[in-house]
Amino acid sequence: MPLIDDLEVSASREELERRRFLGLLGSGALGLAGLGTLIAGVRYLEPDVLYEEDERFTVGRPETIPVGTLLVARTRKVYVVHGPRGFYAISAVCSHFGCVTRHTPGQARITCPCHGSSFDLTGNVISGPAPSGLVHLKLTLEHGLLIADASCPVPSDTVLEV
Amino acid sequence: MRALTNTRVFRSVFRHGFPSSNRNRSLVVFSSFFLHFHPVKVRLRAIRFTRTFYLGGLCVACFFILTVSGIFLMFYYRPAVPHAYHDMKDLVFVVSSGTFLRNLHRFTAHMMVALALLHMAWTFLRGAYRPPREFNWVIGVGLLVVTVLLSYTGYLLPWDQLAYWAVTVGTNLVAATPLVGQKIKLLLLGGHAINDNALLRFYVLHCVVLPMVLVLGIGLHVWRVRKDGGIHLPPEVRTLAPGATEAMATTSKEAAQ
Amino acid sequence: MRERDEELGSQEAARAGADSARVVVVDFAAPELAGDLSDEPMVMTFPHLLVRELVAFLALSLFLVLVSLFFDAPLDAIADPTRTPNPAKAPWYFLGLQELLHYYPPVVAGVLLPGLLIIALAVIPYFQVNVERPSLWESAPLRRLGLLWLAISALSTVFCFASALPVWSIVVPLWMVGVAMSTGALPWRGGRVALWLRTRSLPFWIFLWFLVSATTLTATGFFFRGPGWAFTIPWRDGIY
Repeated sequence: MPLIDDLEVSASREELERRRFLGLLGSGALGLAGLGTLIAGVRYLEPDVLYEEDERFTVGRPETIPVGTLLVARTRKVYVVHGPRGFYAISAVCSHFGCVTRHTPGQARITCPCHGSSFDLTGNVISGPAPSGLVHLKLTLEHGLLIADASCPVPSDTVLEV
Repeated sequence: MRALTNTRVFRSVFRHGFPSSNRNRSLVVFSSFFLHFHPVKVRLRAIRFTRTFYLGGLCVACFFILTVSGIFLMFYYRPAVPHAYHDMKDLVFVVSSGTFLRNLHRFTAHMMVALALLHMAWTFLRGAYRPPREFNWVIGVGLLVVTVLLSYTGYLLPWDQLAYWAVTVGTNLVAATPLVGQKIKLLLLGGHAINDNALLRFYVLHCVVLPMVLVLGIGLHVWRVRKDGGIHLPPEVRTLAPGATEAMATTSKEAAQ
Repeated sequence: MRERDEELGSQEAARAGADSARVVVVDFAAPELAGDLSDEPMVMTFPHLLVRELVAFLALSLFLVLVSLFFDAPLDAIADPTRTPNPAKAPWYFLGLQELLHYYPPVVAGVLLPGLLIIALAVIPYFQVNVERPSLWESAPLRRLGLLWLAISALSTVFCFASALPVWSIVVPLWMVGVAMSTGALPWRGGRVALWLRTRSLPFWIFLWFLVSATTLTATGFFFRGPGWAFTIPWRDGIY
């Protein structure tokens, strides 16, 4: 069986140039199509609608919360504190790895069970590996009710005076 | 037995006679789809238990046990938040042999990770990672990563406290990656918290995507070992400095291993 | 190809033979072909290898079945996103990593160090194309000894002061490996053990350091960590 060796078939310069051009065109188109598929694939995996819970919740009437109180909104993972300057809310989610921190009544610290970080009641790091303090959250007064929004971080010196 | 191997039906399936001759014994391996990754003959040194402790082969054995027990578990498991944990309880308390299969799947998974780690350490200490096998070592490192990922994605599926918090820490680890971390976490979880979407995604990764990657990777890994002439065996010491003592000769032979 | 490699091999051997002062182990970089060319003993794959494989598989299965019959896999309470268990431990193969998280910020402990480890593991074979392996201490032992301890000091500094606490699980293995390595530089010839230590290569020592550190970190995380990731004694407080 004779081998038809295409390496030996002569081609003119024009032909070679056309071949190179078509090759480039083809691989370019293939590359673009691949890139498009990749982007569309990643977009597909990114959910457009999320059925997640509303992160706003009612804390209560501010006049019923005396100064020096720390409220633990356990299901919302938020602490609401009535400090000497006013109200503020801090997230209970540890800034280190997202574990839920704990507060033991009577103690002036909040601790994380995962890697042993501890924070004071304004959310500042006392010890442990946490890279930053607990996030302060937006607290508003609407129709005489305290509303906390766990999805809305605010600067750590924000205090709501009532 | 011999008569059976001479029947037309047997021959149509196996195409070789009773393995009482070396020719037929060769054909057992050579003509079998499942055994053809083996050579027909092997060096005696290569198959000694203490040479490899069969660590790589036992990883494959673990994967086989995991596939079978995993398929059985899939019949009773629904990857959705209200169901997953209760299905797990059903498996433990209601399904016949459910506890056993779950135990087997869990312990074999731990065993596979441990064996893969030992396989890597032993491969290194034996020097089998050196050229021309350097790329196969890289594939091996990749397989170790996939094995750990398989174990880790499976860890979420029971939807118990252990699972939930181990995965919380793990995904926040991913999120700590500069620039792309948050995006990868969103894609991995299909949301901002570990919920239904995350459970389903981990389930698909655990049952379909990662096993397929692992099967392909194992195939490639074993095929390359075969192409490089079977498992690595240290060459004998060819030359020793004249005047070297007998003791030194033996020790350096060990050093080469 | 094969011929050329054989030729190369004999050149190496000749070179090695000419140098009478050292012990040279010739290590072929060429693919070792499974062997009809060599005269070492061979056996038929069927039955010799296949039977061994079957026995190994059955022994493993038996062991796993027995373990599964006598011990139950843990199943905790249903997942509760609002209550983190104390301590919250990852599966055992991640406890080394979790232990590191205790010392470093997430980017370092969770991304940088494991990433570097995987990359280091993957590139190891590309840095050691040693056709022949002379002793690490053969030339300029004192200078190399100095360099070694300079590197160890630098690494110790990184692992002692760049973190919240000194990472003893990494630093102590580093020192141990350093001491074991340095014995090779001594003029004392020693016995078999000393010779074995002297003929280890640099990648071997680095890998040994990785291995011992990873094992120590994992064991610390597994046995010696309790609520709040505080240090506990397993035989007194139990394993968490």
